[in-house]
Amino acid sequence: MTTTVEHEHDLHAGPVRRPPSGWGYLRAPGWIRATWMTALFGLLGAALVVGIRALGGWDPLWDWRPLVTVGVLTTAPLGFLAGLGAFDYWVRWAIGSPTEPEDHSSHGAYSWRDYFRVNTDHKVIGIQYVATTIVFFLAGGMLAMLVRAELARPGTQFFDSQTYNGLFSVHASLMIFLFVIPAFAGLANYVIPLMIGAPDMAFPRLNALSYWLLPIAGLMMLGSFFVPGGAFGAGWTGYAPLSVVGSDGNIFFNMGVQWAGASSIMTALNFLVTIITMRAPGMTFWRMPLLVWANFTTSLLVVIATPFIAGSQFFVLFDRLMHTNFFVGDGGYDLGYQHIFWFYSHPAVYIMMLPGFGIASEVISVMARKPIFGYRLMALSLMAILVLGFSVWAHHMFVSGMASWLRVPMMVTTLLIAIPTGIKVFSWLATLWEGKLNFSTPMLWALGFVSMFVIGGLSGIYLGAVPIDIHVSDTYFVVAHIHYVLLGGSLFTIFAGIYYWFPKMTGRQYNERLGKIHFWLTFVGFNLTFFPMHLIGVQGMPRRVADYSPQFGDWNLFISISSFGLGASFIIFVYNMIVSWSRGPAAEGNPWRSMTLEWQVSSPPPVFNFDEIPQVVGNPYEYGVPGARHAVLNGERAAVVSPERATDVEVRA
Amino acid sequence: MRRGAILQLVLLSAVIGAAVTAVAIFIGWLPEQASKERERIDFVFWFTTAICIAIFALVASVMLYCVWKFRARPDDDSDGAPIHGHTGLEIAWTAVPTILVTGIAIVSTVALAQNERPTGDPLRVEVTARQFAWSFKYPEHGDLTTTILRLPVDRSVELRIRALDVIHSFFVPEFGQKQDALTSGETKLIITPTKVGQYPIICSELCGLGHAFMRSRVEVLPPSAFAAWVAEQRRALGGSPEQAGKAVFTENGCGGCHTFEPAGTKAEVGPSLDELSAQARGADQPLEEFVRESIVEPDAYVEQGFSKELMPETYDQLPDEQLDALVQYLVRGSEGGR
Repeated sequence: MTTTVEHEHDLHAGPVRRPPSGWGYLRAPGWIRATWMTALFGLLGAALVVGIRALGGWDPLWDWRPLVTVGVLTTAPLGFLAGLGAFDYWVRWAIGSPTEPEDHSSHGAYSWRDYFRVNTDHKVIGIQYVATTIVFFLAGGMLAMLVRAELARPGTQFFDSQTYNGLFSVHASLMIFLFVIPAFAGLANYVIPLMIGAPDMAFPRLNALSYWLLPIAGLMMLGSFFVPGGAFGAGWTGYAPLSVVGSDGNIFFNMGVQWAGASSIMTALNFLVTIITMRAPGMTFWRMPLLVWANFTTSLLVVIATPFIAGSQFFVLFDRLMHTNFFVGDGGYDLGYQHIFWFYSHPAVYIMMLPGFGIASEVISVMARKPIFGYRLMALSLMAILVLGFSVWAHHMFVSGMASWLRVPMMVTTLLIAIPTGIKVFSWLATLWEGKLNFSTPMLWALGFVSMFVIGGLSGIYLGAVPIDIHVSDTYFVVAHIHYVLLGGSLFTIFAGIYYWFPKMTGRQYNERLGKIHFWLTFVGFNLTFFPMHLIGVQGMPRRVADYSPQFGDWNLFISISSFGLGASFIIFVYNMIVSWSRGPAAEGNPWRSMTLEWQVSSPPPVFNFDEIPQVVGNPYEYGVPGARHAVLNGERAAVVSPERATDVEVRA
Repeated sequence: MRRGAILQLVLLSAVIGAAVTAVAIFIGWLPEQASKERERIDFVFWFTTAICIAIFALVASVMLYCVWKFRARPDDDSDGAPIHGHTGLEIAWTAVPTILVTGIAIVSTVALAQNERPTGDPLRVEVTARQFAWSFKYPEHGDLTTTILRLPVDRSVELRIRALDVIHSFFVPEFGQKQDALTSGETKLIITPTKVGQYPIICSELCGLGHAFMRSRVEVLPPSAFAAWVAEQRRALGGSPEQAGKAVFTENGCGGCHTFEPAGTKAEVGPSLDELSAQARGADQPLEEFVRESIVEPDAYVEQGFSKELMPETYDQLPDEQLDALVQYLVRGSEGGR
């Protein structure tokens, strides 16, 4: 089939869209079609369930569990995606009707409305991701505030047990599946094609689809609060048998994880193909910025590990709905759940950490005006964490009753991970040494990350040592540890990344003073909130309880008050983002004087990133090296072309 | 300059190390130590802490030193020194942590191996966990069953733990030992109490709505007192029905929730057992059958004004004679009250 593509419009000025009229409004991809198709597909799913039950003569005909699982949690979201237009191209192709000529009308953002469409521009998708994840971050943070309100005093004050268990379970699930993991995916989505000198991701339509799966997953998890019987309350870990016999809100967790996980896998595949095949000429693996390395290893973790959590959640769902016996009943094996779950969820810890390592490397090198110290060892230590990360899952199960001998090898591999992690920390410190440190907001977050991550890493050593772990596992010590690595670690690097790339993404500069106030309030509030948790944990306060022994009352009151301060600090962040995006001063193309490629184009970049594909001629962090270049752009011939690699590659005119 | 920098760094890390050591020593981090196993755990804890303090002091001092010394002046746009790496340093900070974590792994493995082995002939106790209560059975003492764990001091005990509904976890902070209870099989935990006293038993694995309230206590007794308690219980169980029933009633904490005049208890969490005859009529069942069913399957009939799932279902773990004794005791007591 040949189709003539006519570019009647200037790509950079935005495409001309013919406004729909009459029935066209209902049929054009968008929110109107999404509304009726969501309803239609939901009804079709429900009809399928009821129809089969009627044919089979099953009683009761209207069993709401399968009805909701199929209609609300499976087919309705598919209808939503189809209505929005996520499948249009593929469906046309599959049914043999002429595919629309690629007029780039779904590429790039020309008004705020374009952020609410299926958009194939990686830069738009990146911003969609980051904005969406911040919304879920704030929602998850509110839940944490409610948890702390309940815990301010011993005894139960505000919530019954079901509500309380729902609060902390949904809090953790949102933070992990709807904030940390996708926020990194969003930042990388924006930055990586630019960094490697590519016009977009390898699969733009898949990229758009993977974003739109995300709000679906988030709404399912939040929606579980409205389920009769209450939200899922077995923790984000959802251990069977409790998650099988607990409230029906668990179904929403089981299915929400599927949508978030599918999103995660699609994005990771996209990153892998993009990084492997779309690097600019001259960009060898050993010239990739460390953020690209970090997302390369993270994506490998995602594609290998995520199917395991998808499986574990399906098994739990089947045990509940179809009375299978994966984890409960005769022949059901409750420990089996934990093994499968942690086989994903330990690598997931690194999925939530490695991209942060990448961001920290970018920011620290640029702001210290120095090459990253030990670049190759930094990249290799990421690979070491990737490999070791798959051999440590059972350290979450030292008290679970698994084979006793297994604890020792799992402890050894766990402690070994301290070595590549230590290499990274020492290398960042050495990068600072004799640098010219600029304490801009991103740098504060990056240095705050290194400091807090060291504390989180050291408490990880305690947890890795089996005898200590037996004493402190399932106590507040663990709560302190995960918040030091996920809040002091991941969250701090996400903020470093958001502030660092804000000028690039929005074309405007954020308010530096507000950024610094935000950092210091969060930094102090964070430590006051979470450091005392180590103490009450060692003393024996169990996690996931609404009521606790009065001996911990004073510390909990202190922690709760601190946590409200920590929560309030994010108001400054939201204010700064909104006001700076709408009214901030225009940003330069390269305000940080960085060498990496994303800063060599305008802020925000052109729709297809580069007028022509750049030619990479050197390493990305050659600060202080006289005459060093990372890349040459826009047809300028390289004055210094690294002789061994890049000479035979034609610079496209 | 270089020597000066190293001297300043050493001083800074000494100050930070001293401050962190003070925090480690002067805050009472660990709860009271009441078992042999905890002594070993605490050793690993302090061994690890010493290493962690050293690492923290090093990292924090370098970080602070850099922030203090290498700050760029506002008008300084120049770059730092183009240092790409240092093979010796990189080998050092790969090798030294390897040695340190190997040390921690060895110490931990030895402590773990010792903590998994009882000293001498251990007392065996069967622990049953169920939403949201604990039950303890002493097979060596005529299957004596209680809801409070009583242990003799200085003798190893081997807990054989299982769960009947979802996963629970047996945890006594003062013993430092913790073990999940599984539905798929028995798990094992060794504890050697070293101090007479009372300590809390906490469920530390999220097990449902009553998880926070799934607590009991362990009483560590001098060996003679433990022997006396066992003898007294066995005598009561073997004695008159009245004595046997009362012993089971007391040992299983019935009085913690129920009023029952013959036992002198006055709690009002559950229905009054003085009214059992009236309640049996309400349930339309013969008294004895009603009482038995209410113990082993509490939710079969729930008295008005009380909610389901309040009473633990653990009591179906009572050995038959003890259950019979308890039923007879309750039946007789409530009939006597009429």
